[in-house]
Amino acid sequence: MKKRLGIISFFVIIFIAFIGVWNYSYYQSLEEAYLPIIESPTGNYIPAESGVFRRFKEDHLDYENMPLDENHQRSLEDYYDNRAYLGAPPSIPHPVTKEMSYGANACNQCHKKGGFVDKFKAYAPVTPHPELTNCRQCHVTVTTNSTFREFAFSKVEPPKVGEGVNSALLGGPPMIPHQLQMRENCVSCHAGPSAPKEIRVSHPERVNCRQCHLPMTSKQLEMDVSTFIRQFNTYNEE
Amino acid sequence: MLSAMTAAASMFPGIIFASEQEKGIPKGAKLDWKKGPCRFCGVGCGILVGIENGKAIAVKGDPNSRVNKGLLCVKGYHQTMCIQSKDRLEHALVKKNGRYVKTPLDEALDIVANKMKETIAAHGKDSVAMYTSGQSTIPEGYIASKFMKGAIGTNNLDCNARLCMASAVTGFLTSFGADEPMGCYEDIDHTDYFVTWGNNMAEMHPVLFSRMLEQKTRRGANIIDFATRTTRSSTASDRSILFEPQTDLAVANAICYEIIKNGWVNRSFVEKHCTFSKGLTNMGYGLEDHYEFTDKPEKISFEDYKEFLKDYSPEKVSKYSKVSVKDIKYLARIYGDPNKKVVSFWCMGVNQHTRGTWMNNLIYNIHLLTGKISQPGNGPFSLTGQPSACGTAREVGTFTHKLPKGVVTNEENRRLAAKIWNVPYERIPSKPTYHATEMFRAVDRGDIKFIWTQATNPLVSLPKTSRYRPGMEKESCFVVVSDVFPTPTSDVADVILPASWHIEKGGLYGNSERRTQYWEQMVDGPGETMPDAWMFIEVAKRMGFGDLFPYSREHHVEEIYNEYSQFHEGAKHGMAPLEVLKKESGVIWPYVNGKSTQWRYNATYDPACTNGEDFHFYGKPDGKAVIWQRPFEEAPEKPDAEYPFWLNTGRVVEHWHTGSMTRRIPVLHQAMPHAYAEFHPEDAKDLGIRNGENVKIVSRRGSCTLPASINERGLPTRGQVFVPFFDENMLINDVTLDAFCPISKEPDYKKCAVKVVKA
Repeated sequence: MKKRLGIISFFVIIFIAFIGVWNYSYYQSLEEAYLPIIESPTGNYIPAESGVFRRFKEDHLDYENMPLDENHQRSLEDYYDNRAYLGAPPSIPHPVTKEMSYGANACNQCHKKGGFVDKFKAYAPVTPHPELTNCRQCHVTVTTNSTFREFAFSKVEPPKVGEGVNSALLGGPPMIPHQLQMRENCVSCHAGPSAPKEIRVSHPERVNCRQCHLPMTSKQLEMDVSTFIRQFNTYNEE
Repeated sequence: MLSAMTAAASMFPGIIFASEQEKGIPKGAKLDWKKGPCRFCGVGCGILVGIENGKAIAVKGDPNSRVNKGLLCVKGYHQTMCIQSKDRLEHALVKKNGRYVKTPLDEALDIVANKMKETIAAHGKDSVAMYTSGQSTIPEGYIASKFMKGAIGTNNLDCNARLCMASAVTGFLTSFGADEPMGCYEDIDHTDYFVTWGNNMAEMHPVLFSRMLEQKTRRGANIIDFATRTTRSSTASDRSILFEPQTDLAVANAICYEIIKNGWVNRSFVEKHCTFSKGLTNMGYGLEDHYEFTDKPEKISFEDYKEFLKDYSPEKVSKYSKVSVKDIKYLARIYGDPNKKVVSFWCMGVNQHTRGTWMNNLIYNIHLLTGKISQPGNGPFSLTGQPSACGTAREVGTFTHKLPKGVVTNEENRRLAAKIWNVPYERIPSKPTYHATEMFRAVDRGDIKFIWTQATNPLVSLPKTSRYRPGMEKESCFVVVSDVFPTPTSDVADVILPASWHIEKGGLYGNSERRTQYWEQMVDGPGETMPDAWMFIEVAKRMGFGDLFPYSREHHVEEIYNEYSQFHEGAKHGMAPLEVLKKESGVIWPYVNGKSTQWRYNATYDPACTNGEDFHFYGKPDGKAVIWQRPFEEAPEKPDAEYPFWLNTGRVVEHWHTGSMTRRIPVLHQAMPHAYAEFHPEDAKDLGIRNGENVKIVSRRGSCTLPASINERGLPTRGQVFVPFFDENMLINDVTLDAFCPISKEPDYKKCAVKVVKA
């Protein structure tokens, strides 16, 4: 008798447990699919203008101790050669291994930190924006030198470089004669063995470039900014 | 001229730094390099100005200067270009029937002297006032003080350094009893950690920041940026910690809480060299006219202080400061680690604060508790914004309560001044009158009938200019403005006097690290321009005080400095003699037995220490520094439903203060042509504002329309708007609040509530 009672109560417990589990699972299945929104913490942005510090901090490129290899340095002419116009993204002057490849594991291998590439007998130029890894969105290869139709685009003269041409005051630090968008990290083009020799800076370790060097012109504005004009001027005698 | 410049340019290949520049100078070059301090900020870089045929044509860093070692910032490199601006004030202008008429300077000075005399006769000595500058040279400040306090006999003298350095001064006086930092810039070369408190040094003190970056690369020193806004400094630092405006008070106390809780207190140092005090709380914010406050210090015990700190556990503070418990403990550990050297830097974030004196005290508390003070690489360091905020405003004392040595309320100090000035002791009044904000309130109320401003632009730099501009425009006050360029302040003047610029006169400046720098006149000024000091002397002579100012036009700088340095004789504040200053690129005071004192209060370096211990805080009668119990208190105006944003104002690397000089330098203007309103990207998204779109910032006091800037130069925290104040065409100070620290009377430009609407 006792044994039978035991067996019955055992099945009763199993049955109750079954109802419980089934109910729980049923109500769970009724709940809507929901992913909690995690609020992004504030202040986690980086101001666009501080690219140079970011590079200096995160990638630890030791520009100061990079070799100066005079036999394999680029010239400014080479630099502009694979750019369609001033400020255009450079085209890829070398064959690429895989058409399917993607920046982070292909281009950035050489172009993130630079270095000598024996195959091309040249130093890989360092990208100012390694965080943008869909490289070939902007940078394309050159597979032919022919044109589809005749072509009348003439390249604008690049800004002059050299002694004093970009200085506002005799002996002053040269101003920046080009746009800065996508090129906030100055040292990537102005320092290291891949920097064109004409624009290589003598003091890359200074880091805070824009302490002394300012863009020559600011972004386009509706107002005339060629000179500073007082708007409150009440002087009425010449 | 142009051909001379191109010819000279071809002689200078690839100029970048002074040492390279010097190598590049060919023998026989006609350039004459003259040394001096930079005209702009309080860092006090040494510059060399290249003079050719009487014109300044080049500027380079002075390689002999221990401040900048040959490096400058972009403002410094181009500074002399502003004097060629076409709207330079070259002649006196006197307002007649609503028009400015070019007037011979002699005649204009007669008008000023007569008006001043008439006003005193009709309304008493306290109806005339003078508002000078932390850009005035030491002789200029000294003559202003002697003229107002010694000759006329009124304390109606204050200066724009009240707007930037007053809290630092009261902080030093309350904690140490003597003004100005104990350490020097050389601390940068020895320290392991830099903690910057609300201070964007990459833009505001770029040359010092480059020295910090150099230490970071060479020695692995760490920079911790503690701020309310992500800036270039934040991205260059090892760690950026953001806090909710005003809660720096609580975080500083939380750091002290952790230091004590974890047993990181330097017990022997605290026992030997520190006492504990508390002052009054709930002091108010000075928003009403005639506001007065005097603190009542009261000694407390270490146990009382510990009890007080119980409200500031990292867990409690973290809730309202929005700084994580981890970050607070991280900061405390840096200060607490006995094997690490720490330098704290701060400037306007701490000083322009309705509890600015408290904030200064609190940072000193941290350094005193850990004994990290007055040693190479260890110390709190208060930075300044103007080239002679220390040298002139603080040391000469162009404040209402100050004398060249001490304060007007102290009889001994008054007697010394009267003796050196050779005036009756009774003439120097013993009661301070108007501090800067109250001075312009008095102008608005009509209590001040005559005001003379020099080398400053209050109608751009004062808070709540929406009140003080109409105030100065009133007929009741005669306004005299001495300046180099026309400004919104000179627009309301009755007489405009043409001042000499920096290198067109000789002078002395004193920088943040107690370094006094001398320069001689390098070029002639245009038209009838005249050094400010000489204008005071001319007016004083016309008022019958000639015998008190027996200086010669040619040598007045030297004569005045020699008279002034008598005030500071002794080991505690001795100034270097002129012969030394002429030779050296600046010398640090106390200058004792032919040597600069780099670390004050430390017996190893400071001959003024006399108590036989390692340290002697001789500014206080008991030789001990004070650790202050200072609580967290709310800001006077906080964002609410109607005005939901904090407004923070500040500066940019390209422009210096109100931009009257730097905006006239084309390179700087073109790089930063106008002000902007910086938003957090998410706030901008919520408001539907695009980058560059015009927005109107509105407060209870006024409004200002500017283009929005999103994710460019800097990023304020959420719920905060940042606007630089340099732009006189976009006057953000029409919007700011004129609340100030009750102890220092320095206004808080960093916190008020605004709303943002699309313009």
